[in-house]
Amino acid sequence: MSGEEEENAAELKIGEEFLKAKCLMNCEVAIILEHKYEQIQQHSSESDPTSQVSQVFEKSLQYVKRFSRYKNPDAVRQVRETLSRYGLAEFELCTLGNLCPDTSGEATALVPSLKSGGRFVGDAGDEKIEKMLNDLSLIKKFE
Amino acid sequence: MFFHIVLERNMQLHPRHFGPHLRDKLVSKLIKDVEGTCSGRHGFVVAITGVEDIGKGLIREGTGYVTFPVKYQCVVFRPFKGEILEAVVTMVNKMGFFAEAGPVQIFVSNHLIPDDMEFQSGDVPNYTTSDGSVKIQKESEVRLKIIGTRVDATEIFCIGTIKDDFLGVINDPGAAV
Repeated sequence: MSGEEEENAAELKIGEEFLKAKCLMNCEVAIILEHKYEQIQQHSSESDPTSQVSQVFEKSLQYVKRFSRYKNPDAVRQVRETLSRYGLAEFELCTLGNLCPDTSGEATALVPSLKSGGRFVGDAGDEKIEKMLNDLSLIKKFE
Repeated sequence: MFFHIVLERNMQLHPRHFGPHLRDKLVSKLIKDVEGTCSGRHGFVVAITGVEDIGKGLIREGTGYVTFPVKYQCVVFRPFKGEILEAVVTMVNKMGFFAEAGPVQIFVSNHLIPDDMEFQSGDVPNYTTSDGSVKIQKESEVRLKIIGTRVDATEIFCIGTIKDDFLGVINDPGAAV
């Protein structure tokens, strides 16, 4: 399996297909799956009462509802807008949005790739990360 | 990690379905065939969110079935080695514990649990620190790092660790800091 032995999300080595793909935070997936679930419920009551969702869908829906940091759709949108201002890769953006680290130390431990690419270098870089995390916690406060 | 991607699939349709609702029949067959499946490359297909394009149907020689190339958008869950995510503990034993993150099962061996946590058997098996301040048991929420993935026919299985910094039991935000 070519490339599999090098796979490492910590270095953003996730394959070109996924690097270019749109990544979704748990809170965004919750909105999508809940909407789909309602659609299916409406549809099934009309015609086919046996149409069920797959176990994968159920488990995923339960998971994203439990681990969503932001419940309000406007807040979710704001989170993405805020994080997009810092030149992050999709995967990094979503990992930060999902885990909501408190300090720049935690953020760089959880997303080591932040420190590569010359974006958040040295103390100034740490300050930039702190500011980003502050902006995130403000959204949570006023959700 | 969840992704929103475009996938392609060749769908075969029996002539009995041809008619004014051909497209609908094709889409429901797609959903039934694909939602809930898993592949090593894309992970679990959680939900199809839309159909982008249905190409021209090609009649198969000899059978009368028609093959349509369908491009569709879907939400997939694909775990990556090195990824850090949160999961729910489902089972604890002396070898380690099992946790679930969405459709994926993750096993954390006791070798990758911090040394100061010991296994306690009993009605509710758990791992606890010597001072009893941190406990991992069924339904606990933990943050772990995936260190390996294995794909078989129908699912992806991962192994993880909680031994690194900032991993382990997630503190209840309602509890005092």
